[in-house]
Amino acid sequence: KRRRTTSHTEKKEEDPIKSQILTAGEKTSSVETSIESVAKSLESELATQKAKILELLVEVVTTHPEKCSVYSTLAGLLNAKNYNFGGEYVETLVKTFKEHLKSGNWLHAQYTLRFISDLVNSHVISATSLLQLYDTFMEGAVDSTVPQVRRDWLVFAILNCLPWVGRELYDKKEQTVERLMMTIDNFMRKRKRTHVGMLRVWSNDDNHKQEEYLECLWLQVEKLKLDGWIEKHINRPYLAFDSVLCEALQHNLPQISLPPHHENMLYPAPSVVYRMFDYTDCPEGPLAPVLPGTHSIERYLIEQELRDILRKYHNERRECTSHLLEYQHNNRVPLEYMVVEVIFGELFRLPTPEYLEICYGSVLIELCRKSPAIIPQVLAQTTELLFERLDTMHPACIDRFANWFSYHLSNFQFRWTWEDWSRALELDPDHPKPKFIAEVILKCLRLSYYERIADSVPKTFERLVPPTPEPIYKFADRDDGKTEIGTLQSKQLQAAFRGKAAHEDMIVILSEIPNPLEGDEGGPTSHNPIAIDVFAQTLFMLGSKSLTHAHAAIAKYQPVFKRIVENEDAQLCVLKSAYSVWKNDTQMLSVVVDMLLKYQIVECAAVANWVFLKEMQPDFTRIYLWEILHLTIRKMNKHVSRLSFDLNEAREKVRKAEMNTSESEDEDGDHADNPKDKDNKDVPTEEQVDKMEEKLEAAQADQKNLFLIVFQRFIMILSEHIARCDTDGKTFNTAWYRWTIGRLQQVFMQHAEQVAQYSSTLETLLFTQDLDRNILEIFHQFQALRA
Amino acid sequence: SETERERKLVTSSTLYIGNLSFYTREYQIHELFSKCGDVRRVIMGLDRFKKTPCGFCFVEYYHREDAENAMRFINGTRLDDRVVRTDWDAGFEEGRQYGRG
Repeated sequence: KRRRTTSHTEKKEEDPIKSQILTAGEKTSSVETSIESVAKSLESELATQKAKILELLVEVVTTHPEKCSVYSTLAGLLNAKNYNFGGEYVETLVKTFKEHLKSGNWLHAQYTLRFISDLVNSHVISATSLLQLYDTFMEGAVDSTVPQVRRDWLVFAILNCLPWVGRELYDKKEQTVERLMMTIDNFMRKRKRTHVGMLRVWSNDDNHKQEEYLECLWLQVEKLKLDGWIEKHINRPYLAFDSVLCEALQHNLPQISLPPHHENMLYPAPSVVYRMFDYTDCPEGPLAPVLPGTHSIERYLIEQELRDILRKYHNERRECTSHLLEYQHNNRVPLEYMVVEVIFGELFRLPTPEYLEICYGSVLIELCRKSPAIIPQVLAQTTELLFERLDTMHPACIDRFANWFSYHLSNFQFRWTWEDWSRALELDPDHPKPKFIAEVILKCLRLSYYERIADSVPKTFERLVPPTPEPIYKFADRDDGKTEIGTLQSKQLQAAFRGKAAHEDMIVILSEIPNPLEGDEGGPTSHNPIAIDVFAQTLFMLGSKSLTHAHAAIAKYQPVFKRIVENEDAQLCVLKSAYSVWKNDTQMLSVVVDMLLKYQIVECAAVANWVFLKEMQPDFTRIYLWEILHLTIRKMNKHVSRLSFDLNEAREKVRKAEMNTSESEDEDGDHADNPKDKDNKDVPTEEQVDKMEEKLEAAQADQKNLFLIVFQRFIMILSEHIARCDTDGKTFNTAWYRWTIGRLQQVFMQHAEQVAQYSSTLETLLFTQDLDRNILEIFHQFQALRA
Repeated sequence: SETERERKLVTSSTLYIGNLSFYTREYQIHELFSKCGDVRRVIMGLDRFKKTPCGFCFVEYYHREDAENAMRFINGTRLDDRVVRTDWDAGFEEGRQYGRG
């Protein structure tokens, strides 16, 4: 309640200056008159409200980047009337710009640099001094001692400004601009492109060339230059005020030096420009707007603005969709196509999307609701087109595509013309098309119920519909009269569960099962695989009614598991039992593995080894198995980061306590009522901190070991495949290979931050020079992402 | 007390999910809400007398942030053809799963 009241009063008190600035360029008959009237009113307030106006006008540069030229025009008008204010404004702006650079806030730095550039258009800043600033950036870009990601950003930041200010600079300083373009061209030629392989949604360029972001922007800017620096997109309200603005005096930017690179500095990750449509995909007609070409600067500018809207409103899907659909230039481009392309570009972004996958999914649902005549059709077209291009799509993106599509269908009564995909039924079952269909059906099943989905797909698709998600119990009574070893004990165990027998009694039942590992010598063995199988399968059956039942059963009998599962081989037995019971219900299987990890019945390393077992080969190209691997790695990562957080917190407490004691030493020695003593009780002892350190180190060792296992397994399985194909004289580049190498890439991509810590160990132990170059290449791509 | 409940609401990672179909099962809810983060547990709302699902449930996440995302992205979308409503809940207590019969 209290929170609501404050926000309410805030709204009431909102000051007129702020609201004027925020609505500049809106509301009235024309953008120009609106800016003009705001300028007039601000001008009269300058005497008393200067500080606030300065602050607000700097703030809007990053909070409202879409109104860049509105505010540059406003600043131009103010500067024309009040040169001193203009000077102070430039000064404040530059100060903020430097702060963005120093703190590594690249997005805000990018917006601010573009705004500063636009101020050349509105005669606030001199062209010469802007070009000097660009020179400083280029000096930083050619410095080969710093990472390429930093140098890339510097060049990107300049290219990003040129559509706005290129024409003006060219008019005034043609030669300097030519020189700048040559320096950039040189830079682009020398640039390394190793990382691109890891970022491409499709492995070939048959449909659309997938250009690296900087390369694409460079081509767009080069084309813009050829077109005489004239673009057809940016609104330039300052043009209407030319007569006033050309009289104004301009300011020179002060010398701005780049903050030096340091190790903890993170730079924007490179990306590949996502293209799905060209003009032939969009509706034709004399009045239909035409999709700008790949290398037209308009495509870049519009996409950038649509992405800005997504970024700003991604948490408010209703507002987000309104802004997307009401985009100001929507009569000049086939907007719905561009919006959908941008959203899928973000959803498929590699290594990982910016936001949760469901965030994009919910925006797409909302778009369908708001624009029912067009968006559903564009989405159907998108789905068809993506389906057609599945053979070369990255497995990580196929996962996201299947997740989105099944989720989307679940919001629209699962209506789809499956028959159109019938030809996929003739393909090799490992081919991405039948795989995709099967995965979509499976995910639809999980969101609905079996009969509904099984009945909604054509009969011919039966092969792709998974079996009913029911448990399989090995120790059930069989028609052929044969019995598995352990059937008797499993019956006794069931009775024990029902009778709520003591754990000890269950152990006694299990101990009667003969151990196949018991050697002739009768030496001590570590674990009994049959006993584990009997216990695990019987327990899983007991908890098979629902996820909650499974959870409760595992939680309750965890101590029994702990008694009979003593080593990693034993843990593998538990996982094999889980698979044997739940192979037809992969959702339950995932949840059960999660529980087994949570109750520390199995360790992460065991799950990793299990995924690569021969027994799991039939499911090796299915999505769920990799979801399990990633949830396992995630669990490990979370564990490590929690321990490291706790340790840091403990150290901080110790540090504070030490400061307190040194302070109180000067004071009276009597501590009896000293409130600080209370805090001291919370302060961990040296011994406790040491223990925490040990724990963290152990967890980090486990984490490293986990990655080593995962990568080693990948290397083994892929090397074997390549060698075998070599001997047989066949190509190794099969559907299976593409799935598997893609899954390897996915581990690097999804856990990049953690893997990066162990990069050098991986390089010396696993990704060595004698490795097949196709596998080694993946590691190099990964390293290049941050280089 | 009222303030205690409010304090719990702003730190809770449990959601009340309403307007479900009586036929919607736990696994469907788990599948949908897992899209926003790891789900600690789902507690199905049951008819007080018949002990059958009656259109609501509680979803408990490990982290509040994930519950916040479910409020943003799942609230108002469909499950089993019904528009799902999500709301903050102060935390599940035994007995609350029984709705009116």
